[in-house]
Amino acid sequence: MKTPEPQEPEDDLVLVERVLAGDPRSFETIVRKHERRVFRVTLAVLGNAEDAEEAMQDTFVKAYRHIGQFRREARFTTWLTKIAVNEALQKRQARKNFVSLEEAGETEVKRLPHRSQQWHEDPEKLYGKQEMRRMVEDAIQSLPAIYRETFVLRDVEGLRAEEAAEILGLTLPAIKSRLLRARLLMREALAARLEETPTFSKRILRTAGRMREMIAMKLMKAVGQ
Amino acid sequence: MAMLDCKEVLDHLSEYIGGEGSDELRKAILLHIARCGRCRIVFDTTGKMLKIVMDVEPFEVPLGVSARLYARLEKVLAEE
Repeated sequence: MKTPEPQEPEDDLVLVERVLAGDPRSFETIVRKHERRVFRVTLAVLGNAEDAEEAMQDTFVKAYRHIGQFRREARFTTWLTKIAVNEALQKRQARKNFVSLEEAGETEVKRLPHRSQQWHEDPEKLYGKQEMRRMVEDAIQSLPAIYRETFVLRDVEGLRAEEAAEILGLTLPAIKSRLLRARLLMREALAARLEETPTFSKRILRTAGRMREMIAMKLMKAVGQ
Repeated sequence: MAMLDCKEVLDHLSEYIGGEGSDELRKAILLHIARCGRCRIVFDTTGKMLKIVMDVEPFEVPLGVSARLYARLEKVLAEE
């Protein structure tokens, strides 16, 4: 899990102090440091880049205007992520085709996992980095919203269970149960993508096969067959 | 500890992968997955999935998205 560097909370506090002391430029440093996380979280809640971008902008504007309300008991990351989730949830509720949490998948994973095929020892060696990233992103986006947001906060952004519970307004047992379902769904989603994406070596063999056929056809043409 | 069934073992998947849970619980899970191929595969591949997610190249904010964010904040900061 990508846990933040140990010095991160101090850095954030120093930056917040500077903004409060009248240095708005320090806020730019805060934005640069956290934009990736905020976009990732709003994308997890909303599921599309356009709405996620708007929610991200609103998050930073709100954070800037209310930075005086930040209480040092919580990590700055938790405070900011909570604003991001709230902004994204408001947008989700405002959307015409809003899907209720129940419909978003709460009842979907009652059954046991159905994929029972072992994976290759090390799938990361079979695919390029870009391809692996695309498959992971695609699998995350395919999760129902409530599992996607829990998975992103816990397993992608590395927040503690208590922080994720606070941000999403859920109890600790609820977060744990959602995370379990999210992981099982993510396992299935990634397995499906690994199965359907040909590995690098398979693609080379396929290309080599096609080249052999082309050469054979050209030879046949050349000898007038 | 009594023998665990597949559903009970699965309920403790996150704890087990996170290295949590009592020794007794971990032993009961190990005992189950040693005999149950299906649960063994689920435990193993969920662990692999998490490793892949952790190791994958970091997610980047698209350039245009980032530029529009800075442009909007520039305005807000100038106004206030």
